[in-house]
Amino acid sequence: MLDNFNRLVLANLHTLGAGLSVTAYVCFFSFLLAVVLGAMACLVRLYVPFIRIVAIGYIEFCRATPIFVQLLWVNYVWPELFGFPKSVVGAGIIALALQSSGYLAETFRSGIEGLPKGQREAALAVGMTHFQIMRRIVMPQVLLVMAPSLVNQMTVVIKSSTLVSVIAIPDLMYEALKIVNAWFEPIEVLTSTALIYVVAIFLISMLAKRVSDRFRNKYGLAAQA
Amino acid sequence: MWDSLRQSLDLTLFWEYRTILLRGLLQNIYIFFGGALLATALAFAIGAARLSKRGTVRVLSTGYAELFRNTPEYVFLIWVYYVLPIIFSRLLATKFNFSPYAAAVLALGVSYSGFLSETVRAGILAIPRTHIDAAMALGMSRWMIMRRIIAPQAIRRMLPEALNQYVSLFKATSLVSLIAVEDLMYQVSMITVHEMRPLPLYTGAALLYCGIIIAAAQCIQHLSDRWRQRGWA
Repeated sequence: MLDNFNRLVLANLHTLGAGLSVTAYVCFFSFLLAVVLGAMACLVRLYVPFIRIVAIGYIEFCRATPIFVQLLWVNYVWPELFGFPKSVVGAGIIALALQSSGYLAETFRSGIEGLPKGQREAALAVGMTHFQIMRRIVMPQVLLVMAPSLVNQMTVVIKSSTLVSVIAIPDLMYEALKIVNAWFEPIEVLTSTALIYVVAIFLISMLAKRVSDRFRNKYGLAAQA
Repeated sequence: MWDSLRQSLDLTLFWEYRTILLRGLLQNIYIFFGGALLATALAFAIGAARLSKRGTVRVLSTGYAELFRNTPEYVFLIWVYYVLPIIFSRLLATKFNFSPYAAAVLALGVSYSGFLSETVRAGILAIPRTHIDAAMALGMSRWMIMRRIIAPQAIRRMLPEALNQYVSLFKATSLVSLIAVEDLMYQVSMITVHEMRPLPLYTGAALLYCGIIIAAAQCIQHLSDRWRQRGWA
């Protein structure tokens, strides 16, 4: 058992490390894109009446389609339909972002709708423009309220990112499966990979929760239970 | 672009293979029900254990929930399918193999029990302590309090959140094609290889999943809303 561990995991540590960095890269950019797309979809849904239906359709589609199906769809259909993405990494990032943007849009919306109406009216009364109200009254509060769901969605992105190995993006799972297929010794490699993911996700969510709690305390919202 | 858009929305191919695709979808539904049953049973056990008076039980069950909340479903599915049989064979010293179906149900059920146990815990915690005290004052036994006071209220509170988890679970059943369960996505990939026309098949699959999930979620929500309201006298 320990022999195998040395031979399969420790000897391949640099490959697994390279895979982990690809995972990190994909997760980072897809989460960034998801936040942007989610905010856009939410704003369109709330404030642009005549294409609201498009935003609603987009959000519902993203939320109700499995990430695996979206991944294959983006990877195989989009290049012919829209002419992009040109690479599998692009497809992976877009698919992960699509999925999360639907959920984030709904979180944004509940955050915005949860704000007392009086604040908006007060800001209008002191002569702020709509853009100013958004930037200085609504957004800071919404971000604080949303922080826990943002953290949660981040862990979901990392968990779903394991699937990009299916379209041959060389992430951690892909490298692990490659070692398994070369040696037919799944125990050590797969268990280590699973533990790496668990620990990474746990650490990141702890850290993000710490940061978000710090901000929430600072600006007068109770830390999450 | 318009040509490829027309091609991807051309569902004749989908219709042509309807029996195979439906058979695939049926596998998804079986695995969903198996997984949901397992996840719910485990979630109630773990959720109740997390509120136990004994420290060790509490720590162990919280650890379980945290572990499976943080494990990617795909990694766990592969682990259950490839690693668990080997461990079992070594322990039992005989040849042991999972069918892919059993592995799928086990992996998805256990994965989602972590999330669901959190919902169960929150549902039980939301019941005011005074209800339990009042029931005790009336002389109800612990089992009766559980069955007649806690469970009916807790389940009603849990339902909307649990419904979200079940939707996620159904979405996750699309992963089982990766361990060669012949589900919808597996059939779609096979037909794609055969016909060399990915556009309509993958688009159709995405739209089909989307339609099923939205329709099912709406239906269940309507039905359960009526039932929930009845209990809030």
